[in-house]
Amino acid sequence: MKTGKELKPGTVIRLENDPWLVQKAEFTKSGRNSAIMKTKLKNLLTGYKTEIVYSADDKLDDVILDRKEATLSFISGDTYTFMDTTDYTMYELNAEDIEAVLPFVEEGMTDVCEAIFFEERLVSVELPTTIVRQVDYTEGSARGDTSGKVMKPAKLKNGTELSVADFIEIGDMIEIDTREGGSYKGRAK
Amino acid sequence: MPEMKTRWDIFCTVVDNFGDIGVTWRLARQLVAEHGLAVRLWVDDLRAFERLCPEIDIHAPRQLQQDVEVRQWPAEWQPTEAADVVIAAFACQLPSAYMEAMAEREKTPLWMNLDYLSAEDWVIGCHGLPSVKYKNVQKFFFFPGFKKGTGGLLRERGLLELRRQFQQNPQAQRKFLQGLGVDPAPGAQLISLFAYENTGLASWLDAMAGDSTAAHLLVPEGRILGDVERWLGVQGLAAGAVHVRDALTVQVLPFVRQDQYDRLLWCCDFNAVRGEDSFVRAQWAGRPFLWQIYRQEEDIHLDKLEAFLELYVKGLSAPAREAISGLWRAWNAGEKMADHWQFTRKHWPELEKHAEAWCLEQALQADLATALVQFYGNWI
Repeated sequence: MKTGKELKPGTVIRLENDPWLVQKAEFTKSGRNSAIMKTKLKNLLTGYKTEIVYSADDKLDDVILDRKEATLSFISGDTYTFMDTTDYTMYELNAEDIEAVLPFVEEGMTDVCEAIFFEERLVSVELPTTIVRQVDYTEGSARGDTSGKVMKPAKLKNGTELSVADFIEIGDMIEIDTREGGSYKGRAK
Repeated sequence: MPEMKTRWDIFCTVVDNFGDIGVTWRLARQLVAEHGLAVRLWVDDLRAFERLCPEIDIHAPRQLQQDVEVRQWPAEWQPTEAADVVIAAFACQLPSAYMEAMAEREKTPLWMNLDYLSAEDWVIGCHGLPSVKYKNVQKFFFFPGFKKGTGGLLRERGLLELRRQFQQNPQAQRKFLQGLGVDPAPGAQLISLFAYENTGLASWLDAMAGDSTAAHLLVPEGRILGDVERWLGVQGLAAGAVHVRDALTVQVLPFVRQDQYDRLLWCCDFNAVRGEDSFVRAQWAGRPFLWQIYRQEEDIHLDKLEAFLELYVKGLSAPAREAISGLWRAWNAGEKMADHWQFTRKHWPELEKHAEAWCLEQALQADLATALVQFYGNWI
């Protein structure tokens, strides 16, 4: 059993006997002691997609899934091929299947991901909580701030934009927390 | 054979203050009066309701008030047939036996969660979306809001015309104020104050007392009275009390019913409001106002405040925008208000014009009750 608040991309819940993959989950505090989770769901049997809003404390049947370690092999258009690190089996996913982590998926990444299987079919992939990426472009330091509190926009190789500390320069490797949409954590050591 | 009225049930748990019951009571009356629906309003705390509607018999499990069937929501739920449309206000949890009754109906009812008002962008993306299902009954989320794509705001038919007539009739205003025991000095700026406790109040009152223009502050009984007492240096303030400090007259009013509160807002040059219901009514008053948002954990209310400000100040000149934003932010942070108040006063004509324009702009959107009825119409 999962609550609405616990839903995240990659979770599979059972609705009226069908398994539904959570492709996107956005948590919002809507008002006094009230919070909602807006989800984008895909029916794993029919491929039908829908959006559903849950209250944070709604109770939902989750489906036990198999998880294996996998790495990204290559990207071809909208198709992302992952490889099982133990038996080298290749699995393909569409961009929308990994919509939630897509901003941090890029060619050549070596992160060991968690591949999520439903009835032996790869349905989604989760990135590690912390990943390291190279800054492809950012403006020079505006204020010479070294505290890390002043932020500025930066772009990764795949075009994803995020806020980084003012002292970060082009080519720097940065740590990113992939939870809740992804955010800058610090300069990689 | 007369056509059967569609039956609506609205469930309201009173968490604190008067926002929950204020909104649901207003909605229930409007659905009955303007849409010809049969509405039951289930309320778990009739004492809070009594403040808004003194005719309420707090011991009656069932009574008719302004054609709304008001029902005491008992701790031990009694078997009740479910309505055609069921509204759970502000995410309240329906009694499980009632949910069972919804599922047992031959014709599945529409089940909606009427959520909180917010100007944030995510509201549009969530409004009208389905949620959980209880057996065969699907719940939907319904969000009020300020933008197209939301459920709109509660606004009774003809409200703005009524307001316009009242504001153009000094005699009607004088009579109304006299009924409350208010006799403002000529030329005094009339200000209403309905607020939660606020450490910024003293500096605002200081500023008004020291101003060259007289101000008459009308304070309906409520949570802010403690701060007013401290500033005046008196105790036991109650309705009817009048105290003068230099240019400022402070007068305590009784807690009034909703239609009277509307008229109070319409009479005043400036209204300080709080929470959700009075916040919306101040906008329909078409006068400059100050909003104290309900405080929430992790200060998320400040995001909601900023989201509204971003919408509201559009069209204002940069200095006026800065003035009203600064005043609102200071008030919500409990900070000193004096400088912000003086700055705001400098832009008064522009802010007055803007308040009216904002009101008319918001009135272009379908009102919340109509939007709910339309949603039901589309659903069936």
